[in-house]
Amino acid sequence: MKYSYTNRRRKSPITHELQLLFMFFSITVFMLLATYAFLLFKDYKFAQNLVAMQQERYDLNISLKSMDEEIIFIQKQAQLSEGVYTRNTVLKDSIANMFDLVPSEITLSEASLLENGLVLKGITPNKDVYNFMLQAPLRSIFHRTYSSFYPIGNGWLRFVSTNYIDKEAQEEEEVDEDED
Amino acid sequence: MKINISRQSIYLISLSFVLLIFILLFAFLLLIPEGKTYRENRLVVKKESAELRKYQQYNDETQERLKELQHENRHIITAFDTDFNPSRFEKQYAKYFSDLKLKQETRLDDEKSFIVYEVNTSSKINSPQSFYDFLDALNKSDWIISVNFPINFVRENMLIKSSFKMKVYADPMESNTTSSEEL
Repeated sequence: MKYSYTNRRRKSPITHELQLLFMFFSITVFMLLATYAFLLFKDYKFAQNLVAMQQERYDLNISLKSMDEEIIFIQKQAQLSEGVYTRNTVLKDSIANMFDLVPSEITLSEASLLENGLVLKGITPNKDVYNFMLQAPLRSIFHRTYSSFYPIGNGWLRFVSTNYIDKEAQEEEEVDEDED
Repeated sequence: MKINISRQSIYLISLSFVLLIFILLFAFLLLIPEGKTYRENRLVVKKESAELRKYQQYNDETQERLKELQHENRHIITAFDTDFNPSRFEKQYAKYFSDLKLKQETRLDDEKSFIVYEVNTSSKINSPQSFYDFLDALNKSDWIISVNFPINFVRENMLIKSSFKMKVYADPMESNTTSSEEL
């Protein structure tokens, strides 16, 4: 039998207030957790990036080292080849100078260019031509000059001129020049 | 005065309090330290990436310099890398001589860590000018060659018989392989 006109209210342990409270806290907790997860994820990414960057730096270091070695090697090659080319050019000039040194009156039959000297063999009409036109310039270049003559049939003389540059004297001269 | 608080309200307040404590603990014990670590890590990564950029820039510059050097010295690098071939040399430089012969090739002591071969040469030339031209051409040759003392010139009828020594320079073995690989 029904004693009331109103329907009975259904009672539940989860009231409206509790629902509201749960809603509020769940949103808050969700936001906090999301932030925390984001931070964790970022930290993980940072760690990954850091490892990748360190590896890249290590690789770069290796490549830099090898490139530096290559550069030094090429510089060494360039330096050596430059020296070789200069020596060849200087040699060309020295030979040209040597041939220019010999006057037309004197005929050369043999010339030897040594590391520190020059040996010339040839024929001269007389000693004076040799002494004034060949020996004089040779003396100005070399430190020691020796000459010997052998007469040949027609009044001409065969000569052998041996000229040396003393290394010690040359070094001293170079030092003097540097000081000047 | 009596405060009448229902049982329901007490549950509600205590639950709110527990949740609040949980949130506070969570925030102070986990979230904030993690945030700090995040900031520190971000700084470290920023610093590292700046350094990496600097390295990369230096690496690029060095690479550029190396390429430039390789380009400038292309002829020299190839010349050092090329094995000396006497018959090819004779063929190439025959035009400067009436007769050109290369004799034995001996290996000398290394010079500045480069391999050095000595080659004896005998030749005949028409005039000293041919020899000068030969020396000029030698500086553009396929090998790095220097003409060395003693150099002998002997008159032989209308020709000049000349004999001289040449030094041929080559890359040391190890770098020979590396440089050819890299080129």
